Amino acid sequence: MGMIKLLKPYRKMILLLIGFTLIGNAANLVIPKIISYGIDAYSAGNYVLNTILIQFLIVVAVIFLFSVLQTVVQTYASEKVGFDLRKQLSDKISKQSYAFVLKANPSKLLTNLTSDMDAVKMFVSNGVSSIVSSLFMIVGTSVFLLVINWKLGLLVLLLIPSVGFSFYFILKKLRVQFVRSREVVDWLNKVINESILGAAIIRVINSQQTEYQKFLKASAEARDVGISIVTLFATLIPLITFFANLATLTILVLGGHLVISGNLSLGDFAAFNSYVTLLVFPIIVIGFISNMMAQASASYERIESVLLAEETADTGTIEKVLDGDIELKDVSVFYDDKPALKEVSFRVKAGSRTAVIGPTAAGKTQLLFLLTGLIKPNDGEILFDGTDVNEYNKETFHNQIGFVFQDSVMFNMTLRENIAFSETVTDESLSKAIETAELKDFIDTLPARLDTMVSERGTSLSGGQKQRIMLARALALNPKILLLDDFTARVDSQTEQRILNNVQQNYPELTLISVTQKISPVRDFDQIILLMEGEVVASGRHETLRATSPEYVQIYESQKSTSHYEVSHDVEAG
Amino acid sequence: MNYNLNTGNEDKKKKRLGFQSVKSLVGHMVEEKKTLLIAFVAMVITAVLNLVGPIIIGNTVDNYIQTSWFHGVLINGAILLGAYVIALFAGYLQTRLMGSVGQRMLFTLRNSVFQKLQELPYDFFNQNKTGDLISRINNDTEKINQFFAQSLMQFLRIILIMIGSAIFLVSIQWELGVAALLPALLIWIFTKITSPWVKRKNAESLKTVGSLSSEVQESLNNFKVVVAFNRRDYFRKRFGQVNQENYKAAIKAGIANHMFLPVYSLFSNLGLLIVLTLGIYFISIGQFTVGLLISFIAYVNSFYNPLRQMASLWSTYQVALAAWERIRRIIELENNMPQTDSQGVDDSATLLSFRDVSFAYPNGNNVLHQITFNLQKGKTYAFVGPTGGGKTTTASLIARLYDPTKGSVLLDARDIRSFSSEERVKRIGFILQDPFLFSGTIRENILYGNYELKEISNERLMQIFKDTGLESLLQRFENGLDTKVDVSGDGISLGQKQLIAFMRAVLRKPDLLILDEATANIDTVTEQLLDEILQKLPETTTKVIIAHRLNTIANADVIYFVNTGKVTRAGSLKEAVDMLMKGKMAS
Repeated sequence: MGMIKLLKPYRKMILLLIGFTLIGNAANLVIPKIISYGIDAYSAGNYVLNTILIQFLIVVAVIFLFSVLQTVVQTYASEKVGFDLRKQLSDKISKQSYAFVLKANPSKLLTNLTSDMDAVKMFVSNGVSSIVSSLFMIVGTSVFLLVINWKLGLLVLLLIPSVGFSFYFILKKLRVQFVRSREVVDWLNKVINESILGAAIIRVINSQQTEYQKFLKASAEARDVGISIVTLFATLIPLITFFANLATLTILVLGGHLVISGNLSLGDFAAFNSYVTLLVFPIIVIGFISNMMAQASASYERIESVLLAEETADTGTIEKVLDGDIELKDVSVFYDDKPALKEVSFRVKAGSRTAVIGPTAAGKTQLLFLLTGLIKPNDGEILFDGTDVNEYNKETFHNQIGFVFQDSVMFNMTLRENIAFSETVTDESLSKAIETAELKDFIDTLPARLDTMVSERGTSLSGGQKQRIMLARALALNPKILLLDDFTARVDSQTEQRILNNVQQNYPELTLISVTQKISPVRDFDQIILLMEGEVVASGRHETLRATSPEYVQIYESQKSTSHYEVSHDVEAG
Repeated sequence: MNYNLNTGNEDKKKKRLGFQSVKSLVGHMVEEKKTLLIAFVAMVITAVLNLVGPIIIGNTVDNYIQTSWFHGVLINGAILLGAYVIALFAGYLQTRLMGSVGQRMLFTLRNSVFQKLQELPYDFFNQNKTGDLISRINNDTEKINQFFAQSLMQFLRIILIMIGSAIFLVSIQWELGVAALLPALLIWIFTKITSPWVKRKNAESLKTVGSLSSEVQESLNNFKVVVAFNRRDYFRKRFGQVNQENYKAAIKAGIANHMFLPVYSLFSNLGLLIVLTLGIYFISIGQFTVGLLISFIAYVNSFYNPLRQMASLWSTYQVALAAWERIRRIIELENNMPQTDSQGVDDSATLLSFRDVSFAYPNGNNVLHQITFNLQKGKTYAFVGPTGGGKTTTASLIARLYDPTKGSVLLDARDIRSFSSEERVKRIGFILQDPFLFSGTIRENILYGNYELKEISNERLMQIFKDTGLESLLQRFENGLDTKVDVSGDGISLGQKQLIAFMRAVLRKPDLLILDEATANIDTVTEQLLDEILQKLPETTTKVIIAHRLNTIANADVIYFVNTGKVTRAGSLKEAVDMLMKGKMAS
């Protein structure tokens, strides 16, 4: 079983824990002995207060010492297991591909790292020592019962299977409810998550009530599942008590009969009674622990499935400086059988500038994702300097490609750390990137300058500022190839034009591929690729496309009304 | 207002922890009085019946077994069986009722947290991390759940048993009884002294869980950047750090929680020792008997054994308290954007106006300085200017995502703060810069929060789409209205999200529609379609367009230039362009 395997590296700690638990339990059994010895000694007239006192205090001290030790070890062991497992899991996740994380779903992985981990920890911290001490008590008392009178003993020990069966049947039902309860928790999480991420639109539309209704549905379901679980427990516990009581009753009636017929002494009869009470509690504990174990191993299975997932192996070995020649050969990408890109082929020469334009959902972003290796093509080849992209060592490859994403991604770190996001970034390349992205003036207005903290969602920054920070982040790598995904969207044309000029000036050897909506800034690019519904419809220079592609002309016309202004800026700005 | 849950006013409230928290938690319980009463009666019955057992057994031994009268044994056996059967049902009833009360309370609690979350203004979400909020609402309510579902009933049962045993002890021999209970007093003092510390350790541990969850949330949701920039080590490093912090805090909390049991055991053993030595002393001076001592020791055990169970319950209680504190911090927050009293209504052509409006973000960032402008009914306004100039902030003030720091925003010459939320959002539509989709179908997203069209049939909805011209946009989605979308937006482009947000806003037919770079990622051909749709809106509709692309704003009646917190009216598009140029040069 997985759980046992999990504990293997912690063998020593677990053995220590078991040892401490056993010593503590054994010492606990001595106390009644000392008491009865004291009473007997008093009756016999050789009672010495000091002896009893010293014996008693020694045992009490031993119990205290070992239970404290047990506490420390079990806490330390469970946290250590949790810590190591979490580290293992996060290492694993960090090595996975983007596609894997999307598919595994970040919020599910979050559950793996938190709630599932808690279940495993709980088992280590309470499960191990409880099982050990309960088994110890059950075996011990059973032996005593059988030694005193094996017939009556066997009858009384029927208690164990009957409690076992009630646990078995009720836990079977409980497990169904536990699965349901997990689903409800996921459901609740989803509603909460969306209500937080969508906080702005909810307030703009005033749909708080709608959200509350959604939540109420999930919450009511959670309550109902909770009540079903409680009801099952409400059956279980009195039932077990009832069985224990039946055992007492058996002793009273049958034991009474045996005493009357002279087959059992009154003292043994009393002993039977007290041992039964000792027997009941550990049986109940074992039942609950078995449930805890079931939950923990279910959690561990979920964690394990992530741990065992195949890693996207980094097979590439080539570590060369890229020139920047890019070629796509018949590349296709499918999402659930729906084609996102269909047999796309084109070439980009090193040091050239290429624009990709096309309507919404034409597959432009997918194209860029392919070029960074974020997604893999289902078909076709992607070549950099004539070599397949998979043959490059990932680390050196990524360090040469700068990617400016369409949506702004900010980390809760300082501005400096957000821009110099890679360790290879030098102060020099950092300040060059900042200047190129036209961020210098803005940063100078901040009191803490580059050490200003950026909030989680970058809420203190405007859309354009975030986009320029993203650009600076990409440029700080000193990339050979720069990929811009709709960079123009949030920046005004003037700034945009200046930034593009800066890039050309400061990074003259850069190969640029820019996905964009606006034609005017890319009119003088070496190549414009028109992408529609995942297919390359036309490609070439601006003038060529204007003469040959009706689709291109349509897009161009749609922007023409204001283009005479833009021309005038170019002159003034340039 | 400071909405950050992890900073501020912590010291002031320290005094109110503990008992106050329990009281407010129990406050939720009042509605359940009747159920609780029945449960309590059932509990007393179970306890009494279980205590009666030993008495009947003792009676049987003394009167029947020792006199060898088996018939009597059978009679008492039957009585005992009857008692046990009753105890079975009473026990079921007690657990069942108490458990459902707990679940219902939790239900109420969970709902009130969520409702509070909905009441709080947008600012609250900017000041707190998503992961931390999720951790508070899920993880912390779960800790309270554990207490309610598993511990509360035991808690009450144990207290009952302990009280019963204590009464027996004192009534058998009061001096010895008091002496035997003395260690319990020490336990009480010990618990009283250590509890705040234990709770603090638990609170610290829960806090690290919150940061752990924020860290995972941030890194995994931005995983594409982590991959593209080859910073997988970054995720490992950041996670490693919070994991380490959690490890340390959790060990401290764990030891604090588990420490009760050894200490409780120690004191209860001391209780036994006192009874033994003192009991023998009393016997030696003839005030006590050996028989009584044996039953006395049994009662001491039945007093201290549950107390030991109490030790583990106490730690779940401390954890629940710490969790409750974290949740209470949300519940106690107040919305700082209330609805004020209304003033007279004006029927002039001015729909909305800014009067000397200044605005600063809570972090002290001054964005707008004394802005005044008017928006007329039926006109189209364009807001242009460099990034970070205050355009989005201006729009957010119109939609009342924030209130101005100084000055006022008037809608129909009435302070916008005096409108109810329903009224306000009916009048003002706002398409945000970052579109957000709820998981579900496109239909659900388009009709989200639209109470008028909620129940409309697909056929009638399609008719509306035809009339408004939205039909052509819907055709861009594979399965039309039934196309599925997801929060993560996998497989749906930013431009498509913007189309959905656009449809959502247009169908609401607001008097004032704000488009904050709402079409930034949409191609220009489609954008022309959107423009046609906007033209089809009723003539009285006022439009505010924030955009960078000049063709988007070419048709505006009035252009406002927004920069460095000032809003200036430009005479024409040409003038606006010149201002843009100059503004750029100057900055």
